[in-house]
Amino acid sequence: MLLNLAWKNIWRNKKRSLIIITAITLGLWSGLFSVAVMIGSWDTTVNSTIDRNLSHIQIHTKEFKDESLTSHYIPDGNKLADEISNLKEVKDVTARVLIEGMASSPNSSRGVNIIGVDPSREKNVTTIADYITQGEYFNGIKRNPILVGEKLADKLGLKLRSKLVLSFQSIDTTLTYAAFRIVGIYKTESSMFDGSNVFVRKSDLYKTMNSDPIVNEIAIRLNSSEDLDSTLTILKENYSSLVVETWKDLAPELEMMYEFLIIEMQIFLAIIMAALLFGITNTMLMSVLDRVREFGVLIAVGMKRVRVFFLIMIETILLSLFGGIIGMVLGTFTIWYFSDKGIDLSLFSEGLSAWGMPTILYPILPLYFYGVLTIMIVVTGILAAIYPSIKTIKLRPADAIRTYG
Amino acid sequence: MKISSINIFINVFFLLTVIGHSQDAKEIVRKSDELIKSKSSYAEVTMTVVKTDWSRTIGMKMWALEPDYAIIYITEPARDKGSVTLKRKKEVWNWIPAAQKVIKIPPSMMLQSWMGSDFTNDDLVKESSVVNDYTHTIVGEENFNGYDCYKIVSVPKPDAGVVWGKLLIWVAKNEYFQLKVEFFDEDDFIVKTYLGDDIKEMGGRIIPTYWEMIPMDKPGEKTVFIYNKIEFNFNVDESFFSERNMKRVR
Amino acid sequence: MKTYLQLAWRNLWRNKRRTLIASASIFFAVIFALLMRSMQEGSYDYMVDASVSMYTGYIQVHAKEYWDKRSIDKSMELSLTRIDKIDSVKHVTLVTPRLESFSLISYGNVTKVASIVGIHPELENKMTDLKNKLISGKYLTEKARGVMIAEGLATLLKIEIGDSVVLYGQGYHGVTAAAQVEVEGIVKFTLPALNKTMVYLSLDYSQWLYAAPNRVTTLSIMIDEAKKINEVHAAVSNLFDEKYEVMMWSELMPELVQSIEVDNAGGIIMLGILYVVIGFGIFGTVMMMTAERTREFGILISIGMKKWRLSYVSFLESLFLSFIGVLAGIIVSIPILYYLKQNPIPLTGEMADVMLKFGLDPIIPFRFAANIFVDQFLTVLVIAMISALYPLSYIRKLNPVKAMKK
Repeated sequence: MLLNLAWKNIWRNKKRSLIIITAITLGLWSGLFSVAVMIGSWDTTVNSTIDRNLSHIQIHTKEFKDESLTSHYIPDGNKLADEISNLKEVKDVTARVLIEGMASSPNSSRGVNIIGVDPSREKNVTTIADYITQGEYFNGIKRNPILVGEKLADKLGLKLRSKLVLSFQSIDTTLTYAAFRIVGIYKTESSMFDGSNVFVRKSDLYKTMNSDPIVNEIAIRLNSSEDLDSTLTILKENYSSLVVETWKDLAPELEMMYEFLIIEMQIFLAIIMAALLFGITNTMLMSVLDRVREFGVLIAVGMKRVRVFFLIMIETILLSLFGGIIGMVLGTFTIWYFSDKGIDLSLFSEGLSAWGMPTILYPILPLYFYGVLTIMIVVTGILAAIYPSIKTIKLRPADAIRTYG
Repeated sequence: MKISSINIFINVFFLLTVIGHSQDAKEIVRKSDELIKSKSSYAEVTMTVVKTDWSRTIGMKMWALEPDYAIIYITEPARDKGSVTLKRKKEVWNWIPAAQKVIKIPPSMMLQSWMGSDFTNDDLVKESSVVNDYTHTIVGEENFNGYDCYKIVSVPKPDAGVVWGKLLIWVAKNEYFQLKVEFFDEDDFIVKTYLGDDIKEMGGRIIPTYWEMIPMDKPGEKTVFIYNKIEFNFNVDESFFSERNMKRVR
Repeated sequence: MKTYLQLAWRNLWRNKRRTLIASASIFFAVIFALLMRSMQEGSYDYMVDASVSMYTGYIQVHAKEYWDKRSIDKSMELSLTRIDKIDSVKHVTLVTPRLESFSLISYGNVTKVASIVGIHPELENKMTDLKNKLISGKYLTEKARGVMIAEGLATLLKIEIGDSVVLYGQGYHGVTAAAQVEVEGIVKFTLPALNKTMVYLSLDYSQWLYAAPNRVTTLSIMIDEAKKINEVHAAVSNLFDEKYEVMMWSELMPELVQSIEVDNAGGIIMLGILYVVIGFGIFGTVMMMTAERTREFGILISIGMKKWRLSYVSFLESLFLSFIGVLAGIIVSIPILYYLKQNPIPLTGEMADVMLKFGLDPIIPFRFAANIFVDQFLTVLVIAMISALYPLSYIRKLNPVKAMKK
């Protein structure tokens, strides 16, 4: 019967009910969206570097870490790479040849990192193929194709299909020269990266150096970044003679940014939650006070105080649940929409709009957050109503009735 | 890159007597190349680097055993006097008197300029590949600088590790020395020009003794070589070109 | 006029509880907004400052084309008058000169390419805290003729303090730069890029070595507030003609720009969400408050008060309410933010470790500046006033008879 009464009460004062529901809805929506923005923000900063080149985990020999000579290769590197790609946590693995050399054109020459890859495997591990602005990813030039950054092409005065000569110290330390042709030009957020990294097929390098198919670096992409630590442990155990590192070891500056971002966002979230809880509390408080007279009458005509209390609580629970459901739906929808379209950050930051390339933030929210936040908000709404309700029912009916707001 | 240019420079004092004539383009280039190939020699050279706002003159003595060995001793200016560059096959060492030390040039510095000139350490070690890395065709004849020359177009073979789109070489018909070489990129722009002049007898041969290397995109800049003395078939063997000897040459 | 004011004021205090609750929502809104913004601006400054003090500085002055060509031939003359002029630009805290070059460093059989920098030891330290990175030996003096080497490089070359290394490369105008120098100190950097390549000389000695008398490649400038960079850049650019280039850190370290700006932009989105939340908090409160007074409004109107007068009074009430809330919020926030600025929240755990590794204080910084207060004051006030419009429309639509029945 209380339920019935509660339900009727809700509909009796539509405006008030609407306000409460909206408070909860909005609260939940903002909570969900903020967390999604926070996680998406980390994603944009860190993931783009991991995606572009670092990948999650890299393996080298100790000698290579000390001095990055091509002769410091991983024994049975290609076989190792295949072994690792069979692990369930691993999406794919790319085994690279790394050579420090020079790229020359008729006009100029520059020091470059020559990265020899298997194009199809590389594509599964890093996203360099997505950054191609001219030409194609290893398609269109049969002999010695090379992928260069826009910055490098500019410096050397070269364009698509131009000839570029790579000179480097081969495995047997002889100085080697080979002509390559530009099959594609890429551009990433980092012009420094673009200016110093070139990609070729490792088969072409082996041919030029007349060497065995050696590799200097194994880069691993995981299916999920959450498996980072566990996979690291497995690999370290299985390949203890090699150096196994995560992106955090390889790019400590990134790790620092990432950690700072996490803390910052947590604090923001805390502030937003506090504001939220406060807003809900306030609204609830007001709504209960608003009905002091009404409750006073109920008590005066004989309803037990305890029942009045429960009445209020049931109403509150219903309203909170309502608000919770709508909030969750709204949150899910906006997050889904923006995670597809992305939010163009350059609208919010002058520094980024001067960048030239759009920086898009894709909000992301792991499922479990939906549950956690919904419960949190709904519970808050309910708790917020307790105190004023108790106070109200403690009033003497006569005083309560006399309250006229 | 300056393959044939620096080789002309280093090897020009390795002249051989030309034997016979040939009308085939490749033969002509081969002969021109052989004119300056495989023998031992000694030369005294003055190199001047001219830039828009400064210039620098370096005096040097060079001993060479083609194709793998050379020692270059700097005689002037005072600050550089006594520096020695040793080339053994594909490696380059420098002797630094101020530090009393021999330093091997690491691969990453190979493309750095040698002695402040337009030539790099890398140019010192590159093998002459004009003959075999290119396909040659005679496209005409011209009288250049008083000599009747063949004009030969040399196009790099697809796999050749050379940056040029093509070369245009003026080879004197009878004497076989190269009087002018134009280096083109793949868009047919001339990137640099090599000129030989002041042809006279030196060390028993008739050769251009004044050379200019002119980059076309940097007006007012060039590098100039003047041969002051050359000796051919200089008696020397491989052991001369050693680290120990770097410190002893004068 | 006075009557309305008095009426509005009395109305507020007639129902203390309601007034308090309503202004409390505004009060807390202001505090939250201030906290968030102060933290965002604080961390932006902090991140930029930490990044630029690693090496580049906020702004650099070079001879034109130096940054592109990175050659000692593109160096410029060191002019003390110009440096003084830069120093006197508002917000500039430091100018440090450098002569930079890439040369070979050799010890025993090992030769490596190194980044050789001639520095003014004291100024350089003020900017990059170099002295604290010294792990053995002694720090360079202005007239020093020895070197300080990065730890990674020292390990590769197997060098210890007191050993003599050979520096060899190309100086100004093609002159050969060669010398044997003593290792006076070893410095350690967190970034491998720096730790494996840096070699420091006194500016004096490097100018001799590279035959570049009185020349420098770079003037690095530090400022006190990251946000003022455009202002300072303009002022400094005015001091140099087209033979020079004046570059900001965003041009010198473009990768960093992205990380920091994404952080910044994300923060603004969060701030926007906060505004929505507090906006609703205020609005909800106002709505409830208005609904509560329906009967009161009804009575007033039916006894003859004109609706517009009632609206006006209600508006004034909202105004007072908002001001009370906002001002109270600001007054309370001032000491809080000031305290937080002086005593930032310390971080612990993994986060702290990472920051310490970089030589950074593991803290959450807060910014204390007038513009933060002004901005939030205005924003929250605007939100509050927008909410105030609701009662106005409510009154207009009010049917007094129905109202009194409530």
